[in-house]
Amino acid sequence: MAPLILEIMTRSLHRYLPIENEVTTIGRALDNDIILSDPTVAPHHLKIIRYGDSSVEIVNLTDVNPTRINRYRQTSLVTEQFPVNLEIGRVHAQLLPHDYNVATTRPLAGGDRPGHLFGHISWAVVLVLACLVIGGLEFYLNSYNSIKWSDLFKYVLRETVLTIGAFVLALSILERLLVNRWEIKQLVTSISLMYLFYFFSAGCADLLNYLFTASWPATLFRFGWYLAIVPCAIALYLIHISHLKKSRSIVLAVLIASPIALPSILQSPELKTLLDDFSPTARYQNSLSSKNWHLRESISIESFIGQAQNLEPGEYAD
Amino acid sequence: MLFRILVAGLLLAAAASSPAGALDSKKIYQLNQDRVFQIRVLNRETGKKSSIGSGFIVGDGKQIATNYHVIGQVILEPDVFYISYIGKDGREGELKLLGLDVARDLALLGADNVVGEPIKTSPLPPRGAPIFAMGNPLDLGLSIAVGTNGGILNQTDDSRILFSGSLNPGMSGGPTFNDRGEAIGINVATARNDISFIVPSRFLTELIDLSADDGFESADDLKLEVARQVLAYENNYIEQLLAGEWPELDLRQFSLPGVISPTVRCWDNSAKLGAIARYKRYQIRCANKNHVYLDADNRFVGDLIYEYFWLESEELNSIQFYNLYENLNKDQIDSKLGRDIVSNYNCETWFVQVSGQELKSNLCRREYVEYPGMSDVLFTAALTGHKNKGFFVTLIMSGVEFTSSLPLIRKFLEHTEWRP
Repeated sequence: MAPLILEIMTRSLHRYLPIENEVTTIGRALDNDIILSDPTVAPHHLKIIRYGDSSVEIVNLTDVNPTRINRYRQTSLVTEQFPVNLEIGRVHAQLLPHDYNVATTRPLAGGDRPGHLFGHISWAVVLVLACLVIGGLEFYLNSYNSIKWSDLFKYVLRETVLTIGAFVLALSILERLLVNRWEIKQLVTSISLMYLFYFFSAGCADLLNYLFTASWPATLFRFGWYLAIVPCAIALYLIHISHLKKSRSIVLAVLIASPIALPSILQSPELKTLLDDFSPTARYQNSLSSKNWHLRESISIESFIGQAQNLEPGEYAD
Repeated sequence: MLFRILVAGLLLAAAASSPAGALDSKKIYQLNQDRVFQIRVLNRETGKKSSIGSGFIVGDGKQIATNYHVIGQVILEPDVFYISYIGKDGREGELKLLGLDVARDLALLGADNVVGEPIKTSPLPPRGAPIFAMGNPLDLGLSIAVGTNGGILNQTDDSRILFSGSLNPGMSGGPTFNDRGEAIGINVATARNDISFIVPSRFLTELIDLSADDGFESADDLKLEVARQVLAYENNYIEQLLAGEWPELDLRQFSLPGVISPTVRCWDNSAKLGAIARYKRYQIRCANKNHVYLDADNRFVGDLIYEYFWLESEELNSIQFYNLYENLNKDQIDSKLGRDIVSNYNCETWFVQVSGQELKSNLCRREYVEYPGMSDVLFTAALTGHKNKGFFVTLIMSGVEFTSSLPLIRKFLEHTEWRP
């Protein structure tokens, strides 16, 4: 008889046990053919009886947490249809034929190309160094007093090292829980890339604000960053690097991104504007730019006063 | 009642017949103790006091003068509150509002019957002359405070007399007497430490002449009248500003409007920078003292504030400089008015050429919910196009007609001159 395979589904790494005997018993007791140590499994939980190559009978043996066969509680089931889903206590399993098709092999991110961003640790190191330089540059550009090296060090430590470190730590623990692997190199690379992307795109959004004399570029960026870019980046990471299924990756990406996005969005002035339609302070275009690139024409005092006559009264809040 | 009027008349006659004609505070108190009342705003439901002040008999003997701010709560919630008076002798009765002078903080109230002999008004005595303020401080009973006349204050649009005596809460609306027992003004405010303010009695005389006998018909009428008076006052104020010569004020490379009215005071507001600062900043803040009481909860309008800010640096690069410049430009003067008082600001941005320089200018306006036509106007303008020089101005006007504010902004910009 060709063996059947019992797939015991655990986090990511499943166990595959051949069922070769005519009768195979499964339970927590040590006299079973397959022993499951989970406390919700009965000492003698079920047995599998094979009838030739094509047919199998699954018999429940317990009243406590009885076996669910293809999602339903059944005392026994004779079937020729595979796979058969089994819930043994809280252990999920599948009964598969030995020639059951497996999914196609997923290539490693970076694979055999050493120049690939995720393929070599040197890229992670280069990107972290770039982040440190950017962190230092940010400090320098926002320093209006004489610069102290100790302040620069503290700023880079706080704003760059700790930020990247905290995300790497949190996400690597999460990844370990999800797929049973540590992928620190890829995580460091991904988070560093996101850090750099944020720095440059936030700067661009400010420039666009000034260019269009409007606040929508920065608003779009802020909402886009938290609602689209961060979840998409996490989903892509989970699909292509952690090799999770797409649907699962998307759900996980939303769940992971939410604690990052929600506080930032809830505190954003734009959302406050949306939620509360009243502000005692004036919201006007107060951005300034050394480039002074703007699409609006400069006008005379006369024209300004003429146009100002048409300024509508403010709206009353509810 | 007749007896009291007779006694007061006899005392006045005695005072007038004295050789010097001057009364001391004791005499003034005795003469007027039955003609000065506590004015109370009472809740119709509970019958309890919500606010108190003082008032005194004027006009035909049925009229009582007080401050507008004493009875301001009734303007907002006439269904909840009503005005009443109570005398030292326990006489009391309900009053209706006959007239208002919002700008001078005066109100004229009317009783159903004659409540006593009216107090005669008189022009201001010479500066330094003794004057006597009567009222009910802190609900502790009628008292009199002695001080001297400090003269008319020109920084408050001629509507205030400086009184070097002590006014306390509850005395607002009470009379201030000269040494002949005539009311030369109405107690209105204090800055503590024997610095107090009085409204000249000529404004009260004008109010008595203009007021109707039957008062206001509805709460909406009242608010319309408040808005009308505030706007008339502000329009007149702006017209005076536009008509006047504006002295220059130099701030680095800009020549700017300086003290544009006697009502305005300018102060250096520059923050102290440490030795490690790689930039210089200078700030001048000018503001008027024309605080016009609007209604309850101590809401005032009539502000004219303009603030100049100059920033320069030889050491910062242009990105550093503009990061600092932008952060400073984002600081806004806070407003505590809520959604039930004002609308949202509506703002628009222009790049305006002023004296060959480009200023990124914002104009914002918001309206008062209860007072039609009244706006707060905010104008800001920031210098652009210089690598290491920054300048911005903020101009705020509260309780004005929007269209009236524009000529002032125009004159402001026309008097802003760049000096290379």
